[in-house]
Amino acid sequence: MKACKGWHLATIGALMATSVGTQAAEISFLTHWGPDTVALLDAAIDKYEAANAGDTITVRAVPFGDLLTTLRTSGGGAGGATIAGIYDAWLPDLVRDSLVSAAPEAVASDTTANWPTGVVSAASVGGSLYGIPNEIDVYALNYNKRLFEEAGIAEAPKTWDEFLAAAEKLTDASKGQQGFGLINSWAAGVLHPFASLLVSNGGDLIVDGKPVLDSQAAKETFELYEKLVTSGFSDPAMATADANTTGPFLDNFVSGKTGMIIMANWWESALKAGMGDAFADIATAPIPVGPSGDTARSISYSWMTVVNAQAAPEEQEAAWKFLSWLNGPDSGENGASAMGDILMSMGILPSRTSDVAAFGDRLSSDPFLLGYTETLSDAKPFPVVLGGQEFSESLQQTLEALQFGQVTAADAQANAQADATEILERNAK
Amino acid sequence: MTGRQTRSTIGMLAPATGLIAIFVLVPMVLTIGLSFTQWSTQTGFETASFVGLANFADLLGPTSIGRDFRAAFGNTAIYTALSVALILPLSVMLGLLVHQTFASGGILLRTVLFSSYMVPMIAVALVWSKLYSPTEGPINQMLGWVGVPPQTWLSSPRTALVSIVILNVWQQVGYFTVLAVAGLTQIPRSLYEAALVDGASAWMQFWRITLPLLRNTLLFSAVIAVINAVQVFEPVALITQGGPVNSTNVMTYHIRRVGIERAQGGLGSAMAVTLMLSLIVVIVLLFTLLRDRGEQR
Repeated sequence: MKACKGWHLATIGALMATSVGTQAAEISFLTHWGPDTVALLDAAIDKYEAANAGDTITVRAVPFGDLLTTLRTSGGGAGGATIAGIYDAWLPDLVRDSLVSAAPEAVASDTTANWPTGVVSAASVGGSLYGIPNEIDVYALNYNKRLFEEAGIAEAPKTWDEFLAAAEKLTDASKGQQGFGLINSWAAGVLHPFASLLVSNGGDLIVDGKPVLDSQAAKETFELYEKLVTSGFSDPAMATADANTTGPFLDNFVSGKTGMIIMANWWESALKAGMGDAFADIATAPIPVGPSGDTARSISYSWMTVVNAQAAPEEQEAAWKFLSWLNGPDSGENGASAMGDILMSMGILPSRTSDVAAFGDRLSSDPFLLGYTETLSDAKPFPVVLGGQEFSESLQQTLEALQFGQVTAADAQANAQADATEILERNAK
Repeated sequence: MTGRQTRSTIGMLAPATGLIAIFVLVPMVLTIGLSFTQWSTQTGFETASFVGLANFADLLGPTSIGRDFRAAFGNTAIYTALSVALILPLSVMLGLLVHQTFASGGILLRTVLFSSYMVPMIAVALVWSKLYSPTEGPINQMLGWVGVPPQTWLSSPRTALVSIVILNVWQQVGYFTVLAVAGLTQIPRSLYEAALVDGASAWMQFWRITLPLLRNTLLFSAVIAVINAVQVFEPVALITQGGPVNSTNVMTYHIRRVGIERAQGGLGSAMAVTLMLSLIVVIVLLFTLLRDRGEQR
């Protein structure tokens, strides 16, 4: 920990040394966080501003569904947000379009020393680091213990066979109750559960820049979706999401009409808000392992904060200095970063090594997060490639068509592979 | 017109026409030009490279670009046709109710109808997304009271687009009712009195007097309704995000997705140009159709 702190002080020192003679800057921070989390960020900013007279930081919050659009429409100009929190899959396209600046050497060194290699890699393009990673998200099976007990299911399913058997027992059409909740109308919500089941079945989405959705593991995953729908264990009409990543899919799980769902760790706060005391009924477990899989795995993705390449040099400098502080071990409590505190308030796993250590007790004792932390080491990162957003949306449409019975599993697999091949080849040109 | 008058006319028109040229014509010409290029919206215009008709070929091609575009185009056409087909007759019917003098409450009805038009779309979207909720929504609960099984509304590709149309009709019909009432007030009362003397029934009066003399109002309403419908964006962006299975992915939302989220400016421009040309064709057809009928009469 002392070594980490030393690195961090050196980073802040290096940034401060370069800022001698520069004027205080007004910078802005674009995020998709909700009001409660923004309040925590504002509190951290107040603390920073008190110690750094002259620098002023304002927060702009937009819904998740509008984040990329806001970044695209206003991020390219000098009037765009100086700092933005982004999803790692967007990074290659933003770097190609010169929207984000490479991190200064001091920040890059500090980040490389204090974050896991895989997370640093997801924040880098062409060997250069472009953002300071913060949250890491994995997926787990969320299930309702009360419904499990009523259906006579003793424990969470560990394999796909057990998963299907549990889904069957949990399904009760007379009560409007489904065994497993799919998600539609929200790209990440559609794609990540599918991708998690795929990697837990030994498969991959993309290998070396090429889609591998024509694999046996992918075939079995498409067939699993088809079986869930045709057997009535999943009702796609109960699966709709809206632009704020809520909607019937969340309502049905919260109200006990969905037995199981595969979701990321960040939605703990949404579940608590929706369920109140009934949240105690919810438990998590690793993704069930498919017939071609060897161990429980999840897809993982990360978020990072980047700096606008079009911002004035003094603003960029002030932004990196603030981000180094926000993500550093001196800004939070008990050796954690202020960012770590903010993330943990939402049930989100921080990625900085010292944050993981600082929150070790809570991470290992929180029963909800346990299902996530158990699979963190075996998680496979979501592929970060040019055209990643288009690839995601295309696969989402194919999966939704499968959910609503418009295509068979075999056709869905063939369509997904053909579309992904065309999209990735076109974007790589 | 003397030279001085000409200069004076140009001087007076220049501010307005200049602004129109800068803010309407230049973007239109720029969009048309960009539709023949490959260009990332995040880079300067100088990075656009000419690709001829390649973008338009992609829109007609077999890849996901063409499939998604054609689906969005079809959704927009269906949305527009259904919206206009519902709004125009409803606005005339409600206009007659507001305009009639046999019973009181016409002004109240007009106020109530118009109030829906004044509600911001964000509030409409928020409320209707809950009203439409398949399991807990009030609409399905009310249908249940009369023995109608729960409907899927926004949660199924079969019903999602129609659900958005209903929302649109609910919000817009008040505005078009006011237009219909304005048209009805222009019809001379003496025509109805003469028709009564000739023994014409109320039904005959409607078909022979009211509807023909509302022709210009209906033409104007139809044009505005078509333009409004083609430009639909907010309910899709706020509620469905084009889903499920692309069933509510309309042109404006798709252009935003391609041109802004994916930064494919050339392709997005080609889609915008295609939409603009289609809109022009529809508007010209509307004028031709309704004007011809007027001349035949």
